[in-house]
Amino acid sequence: MAITTLSSPDLDSLITRAAEGLPDVDAERVARAVESGRAPGASHAEDLELAVRSAAALIGADPQYSRLAARLLARLIHAEVAGQGLTAFSESVAEGHRQGVHSAALAAFTASNAAALDAIADDAEDDRFGYFGLRTVYDRYLLRHPVTRLVIETPQWFLLRVAAGLAETVDEARELYDLTSRLSYLPSSPTLFNSGTAHPQLSSCFLLDSPRDELEAIYGRYTDIARLSKFAGGIGVSWTRVRSRGSLIKGTNGNSNGIVPWLRTLDASVAAVNQGGRRKGAACVYLEPWHADVEEFLELRDNTGDEAQRTHNLNLAVWVPDEFMRRVEANADWSLFDPKEVPHLTDLWGERFDAAYAAAEAAGLARRTVPARTLYARMMRTLAQTGNGWMTFKDASNRACNQTAREGNVVHLSNLCTEILEVTDDETTAVCNLGSVNLGAHVTATGVDFAALSRTVRTAVRFLDRTIDRSYYPTDAAKASNAKWRPVGLGVMGLADVFFKLRLAFDSPEAKELSTRVAEEIALSAYETSAELAASLGRHPNYFETRAFDGVLHVDHFPGTPTWQAERWAALRARVAETGLRNSLLIAIAPTATIAAIAGCAECIEPVVSNVFKRETLSGEFLQVNPYLIEDLKRLGRWDDATRAALLSSEGSVQDFGWLPEELRTLYRTAWELPQRALIDLAAARMPFIDQSQSLNLFMAAPTIGKLSSMYAYAWRQGLKTTYYLRSRPATRIAQTTVAVTLPSEADAVACSLENPEICEACQ
Amino acid sequence: MTVPRQRDRQMLLDPGMDLTLRPMRYPDFYEQYRAAIRNTWTVEEVDLAADVADLAKLTPGEYHLVKRLVAFFATGDTIVANNLVLNLYKHVNAPEARLYLSRQLFEEAVHVQFYLTLLDTYLPDHDDRTEAFAAIERIPSIKQKGDFCFRWIDSIDSLDELRTPADRRSFLLNLICFAACIEGLFFYGAFAYVYWLRSRGLLDGLATGTNWVFRDESMHMSFAFSVIETVRKEEPELFDDELTAQVTRMLEEAVDAEAAFAEDVCGDGLSGMNTADMRRYLEYVADQRLARLGMPTRFGSANPFDFMALQDVQELTNFFERRVSAYQVAVSGTVSLDEEF
Repeated sequence: MAITTLSSPDLDSLITRAAEGLPDVDAERVARAVESGRAPGASHAEDLELAVRSAAALIGADPQYSRLAARLLARLIHAEVAGQGLTAFSESVAEGHRQGVHSAALAAFTASNAAALDAIADDAEDDRFGYFGLRTVYDRYLLRHPVTRLVIETPQWFLLRVAAGLAETVDEARELYDLTSRLSYLPSSPTLFNSGTAHPQLSSCFLLDSPRDELEAIYGRYTDIARLSKFAGGIGVSWTRVRSRGSLIKGTNGNSNGIVPWLRTLDASVAAVNQGGRRKGAACVYLEPWHADVEEFLELRDNTGDEAQRTHNLNLAVWVPDEFMRRVEANADWSLFDPKEVPHLTDLWGERFDAAYAAAEAAGLARRTVPARTLYARMMRTLAQTGNGWMTFKDASNRACNQTAREGNVVHLSNLCTEILEVTDDETTAVCNLGSVNLGAHVTATGVDFAALSRTVRTAVRFLDRTIDRSYYPTDAAKASNAKWRPVGLGVMGLADVFFKLRLAFDSPEAKELSTRVAEEIALSAYETSAELAASLGRHPNYFETRAFDGVLHVDHFPGTPTWQAERWAALRARVAETGLRNSLLIAIAPTATIAAIAGCAECIEPVVSNVFKRETLSGEFLQVNPYLIEDLKRLGRWDDATRAALLSSEGSVQDFGWLPEELRTLYRTAWELPQRALIDLAAARMPFIDQSQSLNLFMAAPTIGKLSSMYAYAWRQGLKTTYYLRSRPATRIAQTTVAVTLPSEADAVACSLENPEICEACQ
Repeated sequence: MTVPRQRDRQMLLDPGMDLTLRPMRYPDFYEQYRAAIRNTWTVEEVDLAADVADLAKLTPGEYHLVKRLVAFFATGDTIVANNLVLNLYKHVNAPEARLYLSRQLFEEAVHVQFYLTLLDTYLPDHDDRTEAFAAIERIPSIKQKGDFCFRWIDSIDSLDELRTPADRRSFLLNLICFAACIEGLFFYGAFAYVYWLRSRGLLDGLATGTNWVFRDESMHMSFAFSVIETVRKEEPELFDDELTAQVTRMLEEAVDAEAAFAEDVCGDGLSGMNTADMRRYLEYVADQRLARLGMPTRFGSANPFDFMALQDVQELTNFFERRVSAYQVAVSGTVSLDEEF
């Protein structure tokens, strides 16, 4: 890949110019690194790439190097595009269309509005990107020429392509581009990848009901999943209907091997689907904990034991009824069933499930009975050892769901990221289109700018709704259900940025109140917009099957919820009664891993994992330094080599920095240092305003069964619908290279030679 | 249980076969053993599929580097395992220390298996494979490193018991060689190449497996250093100027051997990776090892590889992109509903 069209061969002056306005960047240091690392005979483009990486390697020295690296990379990208003779957005689309990359519709729209669209893209907006964001965009999002593999769009053309792919007019394209180019809002990755292309699969998530308990149905599901995976969708699939090990197979008079061999096949199938080289296929399997194979299911991700019983590519989630948690609390027994004997259980929730479950027990249908806490401990062990086996709660998920008002409409599972809750059945694949508001971009000196937030939400919801019509659906079951329910999932990212900007500790009452108010504003604005869309475009066809049609909004399931905008809620109710809603569901907080990288903000509703850490992605590894902390350290005159080294030694914790004001130490606690109760409380407080769910990761550096079982029981008692990964930390780590050696102190030695090593804390 | 008075005065390198775990003389060794167990990983978890596609993208210079690197890996861990069995296990006379060494031996076996799998995947051609596995004899730059290792393995080959201070110094030199020079320098050189590739978004599978290998190697090194510290506390007289001089010379030789390897690996230089920078990096690492041993540093070089900062911080992986290695095994406890979290 040779680029020979860079205008200036003088790399030094290029670096110097890119460093303008970055006072803490030493351009000469980067130039020296390039000089020392330059390969003989390297092209100018290779040297520029080396300059990018040399600047990026210094991000730990100062976060401003991220901006420098991004500017140099932007330069590289623009040269690559210009080298193909592409000088405007319309030319890029025309060329892409000739190569079969862009859709005919976008090509026609662009051709008839070329000048107006070309004028929208503003290269100056490139400067909003940090290095990690722009590298991610360059490596994975910019469209490439199918033969040369060179990128044929600049970062701004990419955002405009996404907007124009969803727009009907130039003004609409501008409206969405204005949000995305300022990184105030980003649609989810599938929309960013595919909008305006010849394969516009724009949806993030697909939820498939369990295959029926028969061979053809199971193989049919494999095919569905492969098709949906191919175009970058994440898969959730239940396996609860499939009979358990030892169950009689009538046709052959043999006994079933249970669900594990089927899931092995699914594992291989998912791994085989590569999403256009951009990421691997991914699926999460849901199982209800009364299924008799649940223990083997929980071991599928273990890295020891029989490989024939392992599925390293599948994610696992447990779809837990309240009755199970009650039995755990009561320290009672729990019965395991073969679904062939109790096929109705998976279609029931709440009191009807409780009654049916008790009846099945009374009828002696259980294959086995175990102490509920024994099974619960196994679930916790799986979470601790693999992060998988997500706890998701069946009854809470159904009880408040707008889609479950009518008999037969049941939520059977969540999705790959546990934020989508939609009904499925054998013929219906639930789909969701997602996008996330960057909350950090809606903060002024005095606080959150609620008016701006509301405007962003209104635009976002209209385009999410449009996405439903513009998307290509890989299966008919997905297309049909999305047309009927028209669900969307508007989420957020950068909540931690808001707290840093406003100096609110993550676990403070003020933070909880603000986060809840933000959730309320988003819900209100989203519902108002959906009602407006219903007035102009019509209600979604299944509106009459929803709780909203019955006059019950999601928030009504949570009596006593504080509200700051009672009048708007009243007006909204009146409006919905009149117009209905365009969308059955509107809010879901997705994990935003990749789009938060692009926007350069913290992921969704999460605290930061450390003040210095690296992100590992398909594009490589990226050092992340908390810019707010560094600002504070600079203000205190303490951002020096000693502090940098101390921060690395402490793995990004400032808790032992005795010289740092306590207020700052509190503010900059990492996810490992915050009480997890606070994360759960924040999630529970905003839940009345989240009609689907939230991808809530929990963090525990050194998990024990006791702590985990208390934590997840608390999450359930707080009424959370779902939780996501348990993040934990390795027991040992790589010896640090760039940190000066410190010899173990005498105090450590004394502590370690205590007689009872089991309680020796010094080495834990 | 009565404790034989004699045990109170027994030292780590005293000959014998101590079998008594209670009361435990070196609980820190036992803790290291337990920490290692919590970090169990298997080769099957490493996904090398994407690497094969990357290999096709490499320039000839980069491909040469990768081939040399895996050729070194092919035998590196086997040598370490052999020395552990032949020279270390018999002389470190505490059952809790031997527990750790047994665990280390298992880890070396996993590493050997990982690099075997890697070579089989990277080198589909059988002749290339034979060549790579014969590297220790055929490729001069690897042979030189091998000779260095064998010289120190052989140096205490004839010692059945560490009776005299001279015996014990010989043993310490062997231990320091394997911790500071082989695991702590040769492997850290290899590590830098892998990270350099990784910083360019290449060979994700190699980087993943190598990350896990290095987490283990760091533990091995740390264990060896804690053995050395223990001996220093018990027998400070062993650590004389002569030993310091010998260790310094040994590290100089190791740097030279690894720098010669770098010359072979890097050729005329690759973008961001060349012999001169690698030598400075090795000198910098060698100084760190000397500092860790409480000895004066020798080289005074600064680290030229800024990208190595990436391996010093905790990782956060997008689960859909790479396998997450941050989990522990052997998590303990029982269900309770009212613990703090």
